[in-house]
Formats: sequence, C-alpha cells, structure tokens
Amino acid sequence: MSDPVFWQTLRLTLEVSLVTTLILLALGIPLSWVLAHKRFWGKRLLESVVLLPLTLPPTVLGFYLLLLLGQNGPIAQTLGFTWAFRFEGLVVGSVLFSLPFALNGYREAFRALEPDLIQTARTLGAGWQRVWLEVILPLTWPGILSATLLAFAHTLGEFGVVLMVGGSIPGKTQMVSIYIYDQVQALQFERASEAAAVLLGVSLGLVYLVRTLEDLWRSRMPSSTR
Amino acid sequence: MEIAYALKHPVNLSLRLQVRGFTVLLGESGVGKTSLLKALAGLIPAQGEPFAGLPPERRPVGYLPQHLALFPHLRAWQNVAFSLAHLPSVQRKVQALAYLDQMGMAELAERYPREMSGGQQQRVALARALARRPQILLLDEPTSALDGATREEVFGGVIERLRALGIPTLAASHDQWLAQRADWVGVLTRQGLVQQGPPEVVFTQPATLEVARLVGLRNLWPGRIALLGEGWAQVDSSLGLLKAPRPAWAATGQPVWVGIRPEEVFTDAGENRLRGQVQSLRRQGLRLRGKLMVGAVGLEFLLPRYKEALLGLTEGQWLEVALEPRYLHLIPAEAA
Repeated sequence: MSDPVFWQTLRLTLEVSLVTTLILLALGIPLSWVLAHKRFWGKRLLESVVLLPLTLPPTVLGFYLLLLLGQNGPIAQTLGFTWAFRFEGLVVGSVLFSLPFALNGYREAFRALEPDLIQTARTLGAGWQRVWLEVILPLTWPGILSATLLAFAHTLGEFGVVLMVGGSIPGKTQMVSIYIYDQVQALQFERASEAAAVLLGVSLGLVYLVRTLEDLWRSRMPSSTR
Repeated sequence: MEIAYALKHPVNLSLRLQVRGFTVLLGESGVGKTSLLKALAGLIPAQGEPFAGLPPERRPVGYLPQHLALFPHLRAWQNVAFSLAHLPSVQRKVQALAYLDQMGMAELAERYPREMSGGQQQRVALARALARRPQILLLDEPTSALDGATREEVFGGVIERLRALGIPTLAASHDQWLAQRADWVGVLTRQGLVQQGPPEVVFTQPATLEVARLVGLRNLWPGRIALLGEGWAQVDSSLGLLKAPRPAWAATGQPVWVGIRPEEVFTDAGENRLRGQVQSLRRQGLRLRGKLMVGAVGLEFLLPRYKEALLGLTEGQWLEVALEPRYLHLIPAEAA
C-alpha cells in the first residue's frame, strides 16, 4: 500500500462508481417502472438497446463512446465540449455499462410487487406521490438497494470501457482494475496483489450485502405470505 | 342505487344493474365481474354512472380485490389509517381503531397481515375500505378464501354487519351460497346481464337455461306447451304431461324447458306424479342426494335423512315422486 498512486486510483474509482450509481438510481427507477408496467410502441427495441452492454464487448462500447465524446466527435462539434479522457467520460461509459444490471434488478423488484396493492392504495384515496412513498418504495427498497449495490460493484471492476474512453491516465482517469494490469505489466507483483486484495474484499462484502438484502426483500413480498 | 356502465377492455360489457342492500353479481369466471368492479373503482377505463370520469382516489368506493391487498409492511391499524390521511396523526390511530372495532378486529390492531387468518384479513380490509366512508362497497369473490365449513360463521357475520351499517354492497361471486344470502342478485353471462331480482326469484325462476344451471336448477328437460289455462299451463314433456304455473310469455305449442330444483322433488302425495327407478344414492352432508330414472330422463332429488329411513331407500328400487306444480319452472326454449 506504499504507492501513493494506488490511493489516488482507488479514490477515483470509488468516486466514479458513486456518481454512476446515483445517476443509475435516478435514471433506472423510472425507466424500469415503465418497462415493467407499460406497453408502448418500440418497447422491445428500447429494451434491446439498454440491455446491449450485456453482450457487447466493452471495448466496442468504449470505442463508440470515444468517437462520440472525443475531440472531433459530434458532441464536440455541436455542443463544444469534450468528455473523452475525463472524469465525465468515465461516468458516461460506466452508466451505460452498468445500466442493464441496475435495470434488471429494479424491474424484478417492481414486477414482484402485487399490482393489486397499488390499485387498492389508489382507491383508498392515495395519489401517485403517496403510492410511491408509502407503498412502492417501502416494499421494494431492499430490491432496489441490492440492484444498486450490484451496479456499484460492477462499476468498480470495469476495465474495457474505461480504458477506451478514459485512456488510463494515472491519477486522472486510471481505475483500479487498469492499475492492477499496469502493475503486472511492469512486473510490480506486490503492488498488483495488494490492489487486487482490496478489490476482492470490497466486492465480496458488496455481494454478501446484496444476498442479505435479497433474503430480506423476499420475506417482505406479499406473495410469500399468501 | 343503479349502476349503468359500459367497458370495452378487457371484456366488452354494458349493463344496468340495481344495487339494493347486499347485492351479488353472480357469474362464472371470465364474464367480466372483476372488470366491472375495477371499472366502478376507476381502475380500468369505462363509461357510465355513477362516478363517471373520476380518478380512483376521488371515487367514494370501498374496493376489496379478491386477495384483499392488505399492505404487508403495515400493521392492521396502519392499514386502516392509510384511508385516513386527511386526519391529524393522533386522530388517525383513534379513528382507525374505531373502524377496526366496528368489524370486531380491535384486538388484532397491532398485528401484521401475515399474522392473521384469511377471515381476519378480510375484516381488516373491510375496515380499511369503510374508513373511506364509501357510498358503495365493491367485493371481489369475498368467499373464495373461506372454506365451506367456516363460510357461514365468518362471512355470515360480515353480511349482517354490512346490513346494519346500511352501506350498499356489490359482491362479484360465483358462489351460490353467497347469492342466496343476498338482498338482490344480478346474473352476468357472456351475453351480458341476463337477469336481476331478489334471490328467491332468481333461484326459482331463472330467465334462461344458462341462469338455471348457474343457480343450481339441475333438473331440466324439454317439452312443449300443450294447453293454457287460468294461471297454469299443461306441458307435454319427456316426463309426460305436467301441470306448471303459466308464465306471461307462454303460447300454445311453444317449446320450453321444464325445470325443478332437486330439493323440491317430493316423495309425498301431490300432483304431477312420476314413477322411476333409483339409479344412485349418495350422502351430501346430512341429506341424501339421489338420481331417479324416469324412462330415459334422470331426475335428481335431495331428501332429508329421515325420509331415507322412512322409505328404506336403496339403489335399484322403484319410487314414486311428485313434482308440485308451483315449484315447476318453465323457460322458453329459444332462450337457450
């Protein structure tokens, strides 16, 4: 743990993961609600697009993002800013890459919720705001939290996308998994193993938490009581 | 209260139904009973009166879905208090307890839904719906979770409480037991609402063959009106010439279905006597259900058990029965 760059890298990784996760929460909850409960034209296409990062090689996703966000890309030319090789670029890449994980989890949480509960709540005089705050979120938060943690853990270990779009600039856009790779390339096995151990511990802790939340969530679902 | 509703999805349905006291909308599954209740509650789009165009949260209805939809994360009193959001929080609990008490559930106020029996959950759900001060209660299959043995005990009491409160109630059900305890019955089939009236009329004088089968008029055989008299009709049927009450629509020569309930086939002396062979006998609770073959027509009967001892009934024996004319019911054959 003697390498000061490692701590910078870990801090950056956590920051990217945190910002990514917050964006996923804000974006993913309404999107997954719509995907779970509404039918509309083009729904299957939208689902395919948001699930695409599951099958697309990360380097391909990163390559297109690099073209999109780079110096000569369409965004730079129309809106005048460049997010490639910057924190913002890392976040955009991470959001797209972890979106399917978050969406699947949120959607499962919403699908497991009895539609009767929501409908009945409305007949009892509750508008949508009360239905969300007093029925939907209290019953689905363990599922939402577990999907969020999973997306966070997934972002922590990202490699291909952030390498393409961020360029692995130490202290600026280098994430922990790339740091480990670079240390191995430089034959710095001790540094690599320390960093790997930290990631292993954090990941295991997060997955354990997710499993605990899943059990809690199942025990709260009405389908298990009736 | 009269309900006049028309909906397109998920079933195409348009009806005009009276709700008088405890009203049961009787019908098989899939004819749109649940959809009608949801439309009344504002949960699926429909046109009609009352409550036209209001969103669900502004309709004065108390809606109980089949599985009750108690909030699993809230205690019984908190479930009831959900309907009382307009009150300050101290009064909310007091009022919620009062509504629970009205349903005899005050003792279980602190329990979660999963800690209660089906009947108890139902009463909490009723208390929660009543806390809305509804103009009408809508119950979807209220007896489906109760077994036959406890139904009378559990739901009989509920009906009495609702009658005492004077709240019009519309219960969608396929349960004949429930319909027999109603103040008013509507029968919904795929053709729409085919009959409504007091249960004693619907159960003894079904308007169509389909209603007859729904209300348990199990003995039905074809015939033709031979002769019409003052208040009575003579029917030439596959069970021979029978005398029956004259329906308003009757005309000489008209094909009809003749029907009688198994519990109204008597073994005492009377008119319309028939002789047949007992084909089968089986116990149904404290009564005896049997089938009498009169020629090629099977006639079901349901006798109290003292009759069994009195007549020494056995399978294969010959038996004479009387189909009391006033219990016979004629259905126009084209209505089938």
